[in-house]
Amino acid sequence: MKLKHSFFTRRQFLNGLLGGWAGAFLASFLYPALKFCFPPTREPDQVVLPFSDFEDMEPGSVRNFSWGTKPGMLKKRADGSYQAFVAVCTHLDCNVVYLPDKKKFFCACHDGWYDENGVNIGGPPPNPLRQLTVNREGEELIITKKSVE
Amino acid sequence: MGNMKTEIRFWFDERLGISSIAGFLRKKMVPQHRHSLWYYTGSAILLFFAIQVVTGFMLAFYYKPTLEGANQSVARIMTEVPLGWIIRSIHSWSASFMIAFVFIHLLSIWIAKSYRRPREFTWMSGVFLLVFTLASGFTGYLLPWDELSLSATKVGTDIPRSVPYVGVWVTKFLRGGEDVTGDTLTRFFSFHVSILPLLIFAFIAVHVYLIQKLGMSLPLSVESKKEKVKELPFWPNFIYREMVVWLLLFGILMTLAIFLPPSLEKTADLMAPAPEGLRPEWYFLFLFQTLKVFPPKVLFINGDTIVVLLILAAVILFFFLPVIDNKPAEKKGKVITFFAYVFIVFAVAMTVWSLL
Ligand code: HEM
Ligand code: FES
Repeated sequence: MKLKHSFFTRRQFLNGLLGGWAGAFLASFLYPALKFCFPPTREPDQVVLPFSDFEDMEPGSVRNFSWGTKPGMLKKRADGSYQAFVAVCTHLDCNVVYLPDKKKFFCACHDGWYDENGVNIGGPPPNPLRQLTVNREGEELIITKKSVE
Repeated sequence: MGNMKTEIRFWFDERLGISSIAGFLRKKMVPQHRHSLWYYTGSAILLFFAIQVVTGFMLAFYYKPTLEGANQSVARIMTEVPLGWIIRSIHSWSASFMIAFVFIHLLSIWIAKSYRRPREFTWMSGVFLLVFTLASGFTGYLLPWDELSLSATKVGTDIPRSVPYVGVWVTKFLRGGEDVTGDTLTRFFSFHVSILPLLIFAFIAVHVYLIQKLGMSLPLSVESKKEKVKELPFWPNFIYREMVVWLLLFGILMTLAIFLPPSLEKTADLMAPAPEGLRPEWYFLFLFQTLKVFPPKVLFINGDTIVVLLILAAVILFFFLPVIDNKPAEKKGKVITFFAYVFIVFAVAMTVWSLL
């Protein structure tokens, strides 16, 4: 049955109502199920390291630390200041290694290269290594996420 | 006695309707022609899947999907569990065989154009099975949790990220978070031993139902000849021949499994740099090499994004091949067959290149 100026019949209207309701009903189950599948992320905002662990580093050398579930790398520059990187390749997420004799970071997965400042210089990596801010406060090194540049 | 046997058969038949199935199988015929050999590839896949299910459940008796326990539990299977190394070796080899035969099966159907009307859905369910089988191989590869499998999984699960908008969520879903961690391992275990096998079972059911309903197809070249094609009864003649093929394949599988068992590297360390010589399993090598040699930036667009979108487009085209190839006997159809050969040459060349 269809009223004169109506766009659809009464049956279509009721079916639409029922279908819409069923869709919304299912979605109300789907949403929490989807939420369940994505655990909260765990990247830290900052990591505090004892300075004593890194004091004895040779200039130009690199030492690892844990940046949440990722490896971080602390590098001592020639002038004695520190620089920190997330030691994860910007190509497809492999962990990189620092080669002190070449003064380069290297990713074995697809032959990716970065210079000593983490700038991508060879192979597939599209971006420089992510840098972290290093601050020394007394006996502690505070490594913090760099605000997005 | 004889009377009793018929009575028992009748009792079951009344409840299960076996006789109609048996009658169907007795009437089923398989065409015999120059290209009949390809008819055996499907049942070879079934054989290897059955082997995967049996050996997989056995491995799951001992395997522990945890950060601390995974690598050690596989080491235990290899060294302590009676005949454990053979079971793992069979599972690992049979995975390769299953995937190889899925490739051969689909390519032979592509070239013979067996997906022609009315077999479009049979083909499409087959493409789903290809995806699920590759996913089983990918998720299984992580389970031994050694250095190589961790890095391969990091790379593999990071690839979707280069697809704009949805990619990040796919990566997070696969990993169970931002990074590959213990959560990824339990998730992959659940995919590998329950979700994917169930999906494969379900799609095999659809696939096999359609094959029974539609019967065996004939290659175009055979169909176009007017003379009648020779046929072989499915039961028991064809089944016997299949059994011969199965025995042969099983023999090859066992020989390889015994003489070349898979290795186990030292346990994965989430903080350690990626090991040298990272390589996915052989069936992903051609994609791996494509990603590796593609330029990182093409006109400001990330090279990986282009590769991933191209692969996605290829899979979608592949899925709809029977609909696209709607004039199989004409020029268009020939071009589409030609692409099957292009694909084979491309995949083989890329694989060889990655091994150099
Ligand atoms: C019901 C089905 C299955 C179950 C219960 C199962 C179970 C398992 C378990 C527990 C492992 C870990 C033990 C180990 O690494 O040796 C494993 C590994 C593996 N699975 Fe499966 N699996 C099944 C099907 C499949 C299928 C269909 C494939 C692929 C075609 C497959 C491919 C693999 C691979 C490549 C490995 C790693 C082998 C290795 O290096 O040890 N599995 N599977
Ligand atoms: S992941 Fe580092 S080069 Fe590909």
